[in-house]
Amino acid sequence: MSSAFFLNWFATIPDYAAPLLLAALGLIICERSGVINLGAEGLMAVGAMSAVIVSFNTSSPALAMAVGTISATALAVIFGIAVVYFKTNQVLSGLAIVALGAGITGVAGRAVAHQPVPGFERLNMGFLSEIPWIGKIVFSQNIMIYVCIVIVIVTWWAIETTRYGLKLRAVGEDPATADTAGVDVLFYRFIAVLCSGAFCGLAGAYLSIASSQVWVEGMIAGRGWIAIALVIFARWRPLRALAGAILFAGADSLIPRLQAIGADIPVYLMLALPYVLTLAVLIIPAVLFKRADVSPSALGLDYLRQDRH
Amino acid sequence: MLDMSTGITLVRRQSISGRLRALSFVGGLGTGFFITFLVLVSSGVEPASILNEFVVQVFFDLHGLAQATTTAIPLILAGLGAAAAMKLRFWNIGIEGQVWAGAIAATGVAFYDIGPESIRLYVMLLAAILAGAAWIAIPVFFKLRYGVNEIIMTLLMAYVIFQLVQHLLFGPWQDPSASFPVSPHFDDAERLSRIGWGAVHNGLWVALGFGALMWVLLERSKFGYCATAVGHNPLAAKGTGLPVITTIVISVLLSGGLAGLAGGVITSGAEYRLTQFLAHGYTFSGIVIAFLARFRPALVVVVAFLVGGVYVAGDTLKVFYGLSEAIVILIEGIILLSLLVWEFFSRYHIEFVKQRVPA
Repeated sequence: MSSAFFLNWFATIPDYAAPLLLAALGLIICERSGVINLGAEGLMAVGAMSAVIVSFNTSSPALAMAVGTISATALAVIFGIAVVYFKTNQVLSGLAIVALGAGITGVAGRAVAHQPVPGFERLNMGFLSEIPWIGKIVFSQNIMIYVCIVIVIVTWWAIETTRYGLKLRAVGEDPATADTAGVDVLFYRFIAVLCSGAFCGLAGAYLSIASSQVWVEGMIAGRGWIAIALVIFARWRPLRALAGAILFAGADSLIPRLQAIGADIPVYLMLALPYVLTLAVLIIPAVLFKRADVSPSALGLDYLRQDRH
Repeated sequence: MLDMSTGITLVRRQSISGRLRALSFVGGLGTGFFITFLVLVSSGVEPASILNEFVVQVFFDLHGLAQATTTAIPLILAGLGAAAAMKLRFWNIGIEGQVWAGAIAATGVAFYDIGPESIRLYVMLLAAILAGAAWIAIPVFFKLRYGVNEIIMTLLMAYVIFQLVQHLLFGPWQDPSASFPVSPHFDDAERLSRIGWGAVHNGLWVALGFGALMWVLLERSKFGYCATAVGHNPLAAKGTGLPVITTIVISVLLSGGLAGLAGGVITSGAEYRLTQFLAHGYTFSGIVIAFLARFRPALVVVVAFLVGGVYVAGDTLKVFYGLSEAIVILIEGIILLSLLVWEFFSRYHIEFVKQRVPA
C-alpha cells in the first residue's frame, strides 16, 4: 500500500471522529449527572435534519449548525422533563426519544431529503497546510474540527476541574449527599440532559452539514448508539472519549479508502465493520480485564428526597 | 426542584391501587392520542377524517380489519418476544436483528430446499426460531458472564445482521430476474397458505398459539413465577434459591426465538421472499406493544392488533396525504412517552406543603 493511501486515510479520520466525539461528550456530561440518555440517535437525527432545512433555505452553514443544536436541545427538554421531573424509566424514555427523532425527521424532512446544501470548506492555513503529511492531516480540516477540539478541552476542564463539574459529578455519584450539601440535584440533572441534547444536535448537524452536505432519512445510521458505546469505552472521561473517537473513526474511514483502491472485500460485510468493532471494544476489555466498575454510582436511578440515607 | 422549593413533596406510594393504575393509563393514552391528533392536523390531515382513517376504515371495515389482522401477526410475535425479555428487565433492543435472523434462516431453508417439501414449512419456521434465539444468545452470554451492556450489544447486532441481509440480497441470494435486491419467490410448499379472508394467512394461528403458550408459561407455570420474581428483584430471588440465571437465559432465548419466528412468518406468510425492509420498525413496535400490554401475553395479542391498525392507517395516510411512513413510529413514540409520564401520578403521592420542610 502506498503512502498516499495512508495520507488520504488519516486526513479523513477527523471528519469521521467529530460527530462521534461530540455526541459522546454530551452523553458523558449527562451520564456523569446520573441520567442514561439512550436518545442520542434521535437527537442527532433531529439536529441533522433541522440543520439541513436551514442550510437549504438560508445557505448559511453556521446558522444551520446553531439551529441543529437548538432543535435537538428542544427535544432534550422533553426528555429531561420526563426523566428528571416525572422520574420516568430512563431506558424506555430514551427509546421513545429515538422514535420521536426518527418520526419527526421522517415526516418533516421529506422536502429537503437528497437536496445538496452548502457546508464548510477545508481551511487553507497557508504554509501550515503545505507541511508534508501534518499539513493535510492537521491543518487542512474544516473549521468545525477545530471547534470540536476546543469543545473537548472545555468539556474536560468544566467536568474535572470546576466547581460546577464537581457538583455535577456529586449528583451522579451520590445525589443524597449532594442534596444535603445544598446542590439542586434535579436542576443539575436537567441541565446535563440539555447539554447532551445540544451536543448530540451539533453532532447530527456536523454529519449532515459538514460531512455530507445532504440529508437522507436514517443517515445517523447507528452513530448515536456507537457514541453511547464510546462513553462506556472511554470510562466516562472526556479525553479518553477523544482517543476512542479517533480509534472508531479510524476503522470507519478505512472503508471508503479500501473501496477506493478496489480491495476485494464484500462491500456490505465491510460496512458492518464499525458495528463489529464497537461490539469488540465493548466485549474484549470486559473479557480480558477484571476492572472496577467506574460508571457513575447513581446512573439510571431516580432521586427522591425521601430516599436520602 | 419539584421536590421542595416549589412547596411540593413527592412520596413514593407503597402500593398502587388498580383504580389509580387505570386512571394513569387512560390519562396517558388520552394525552398521547390528543398530541397525535394535533400532529396529524398540523401535517395537513383533515381533522374530520382522522377518526375515519384510524377507526372506521380499519376496525369497522372488513377489508381494513383483514389488513390490520395480517399486519398484527408478526407484531404479536415481536410483542411477545419483547415482553419475555422486558419482564425480567433484560433490555432486548435488537428485536429487529432477531427478526432479520429469522427471516434469513427461513429464506435459507427455502432457497437451498432443505428437507422434504411436505415438512419444508415447519423446517423454515423452526429454523427462524433457532436463528433468532442464536442471535440473542451472544449478548446474553456476554451480559451474564462478563457484564457487558445488553442494550448496546443487542442493538448493534441488529445493524450487523442488516448488513448481512444486504450482502445476501445484492449477492448470492439476489433473484436474477428482479431488478430490485430481493431473493427469488418461495415455492408453494414454502408459503403459509391464506385462510380465505383478505391476505390473512395461517401465521395467525401460529401467533395465537404462541400467545397461548406464553400465557401458560408466564402466568400459569412455576417458570412464570420465577420470571416475575426475578423481574422484581433478582437479588431477592437469588436469595430465596430461585434459579435466576436459568430463568433469564430461557426467557431471553425465548424472546429472540419469538422475534425470529416473526421474521419467519413475514417471509413465508406475507412477502414470500427476503426483502430489504421487512424487519423495519419491529424493535420499537415490539417494545411499545409489550409495555402497553404490561408484559401480559393475552394483552400483547390485543395491543398488537390495535398497533396493526395504526400501521394500516399509516399506510393510508402515506398514500392519500403524502405523509412519510415515519408517522407510525412518531405516533408510537408519542404514546409511549405520554404513558411513561402519566405513570408519575400513580407512582407518587404529591403533597403540597405550605412551608419548606427543613432539609
